[in-house]
Amino acid sequence: MMLTDHIRPENIRIDLDAENKTEVIEELAEVLGESSPDYDADAIYEAVMARERDGSTGLELGVAIPHAKCDAVSELSVVVGISKDGVDFDSQDGKPSHLFFMLIAPKTESGPHVQAIAKIVKMIKLDNFRSRLLKARDPQEVLDYMKKIEEGEI
Amino acid sequence: MSNPMRKILLYVDGSESSITAAQMAIAMAKSYGAMMKVIYVVNENLLNELLKARVFVQVEKMDYERDLEEDGRRYLNYISKLADRKGLKIETVLRKGVVHEEVAREVDEYGADLLVQGELGEVLSLRDSFYEEGERILRKASCCVMVVRGRDKIEKMFEAME
Repeated sequence: MMLTDHIRPENIRIDLDAENKTEVIEELAEVLGESSPDYDADAIYEAVMARERDGSTGLELGVAIPHAKCDAVSELSVVVGISKDGVDFDSQDGKPSHLFFMLIAPKTESGPHVQAIAKIVKMIKLDNFRSRLLKARDPQEVLDYMKKIEEGEI
Repeated sequence: MSNPMRKILLYVDGSESSITAAQMAIAMAKSYGAMMKVIYVVNENLLNELLKARVFVQVEKMDYERDLEEDGRRYLNYISKLADRKGLKIETVLRKGVVHEEVAREVDEYGADLLVQGELGEVLSLRDSFYEEGERILRKASCCVMVVRGRDKIEKMFEAME
């Protein structure tokens, strides 16, 4: 399963406007809704918020992986959001989160969903990954970099 | 000379390359007159790691575990039908746990002469390669291991097979 096959440049926002957790999820859901007009952004937002109420997906190292199973999407979709200033996402180390990887998958695609989450968890532990993404000038640069990592070129 | 391939074990993980591996394993089982068994393992270890990293909460982990079990049954059922279409009856087994350990255990318990699997997964670093399940199965299995590549060629061969 190639993670980057599920990321489209239009689903990457390198300068999030959001200033808090709710706004981040709302903005990422909107990004997905805009790039895939068939998807119901409100349903995606509700599904992710419901998952967050069970426990925050804000990890350490300034990364959060909000996710949910939701039949408002027809295939695994990954939205990447970057906040240069950082947002309080109720993270494990209490520090602001800068990188957001939101994963939404239909209820029948749990296998790829779990694999994609696991791959992101591995990526964020790689040297320079986080700083490189934070410095990206456009969505394509983010995607190209992630592809190179995934294909073993870096 | 005795048949060197009396029992073939196929490991599937639901990927496209697993299906290619299934086609090759079925073709080989028919060609050698071998028995064939298919194993799918719910990667409980990975789910536990995601729980430990607090990416998952407990109830969610259990939910995904049930989903993966269902996926596994679906894949096994699909491959049984694939074999059936070619006139081959096969056994299936679904396990849960650490993938490479469960596959290695099944190799021994079944007495497999050959383990067949699809292409190895992508790795993000050299260190990561030591944790990739396909790689670990390769190193851990006590019998010969075949890694199947060449989807188009195998698909054509399988379709042409009676």
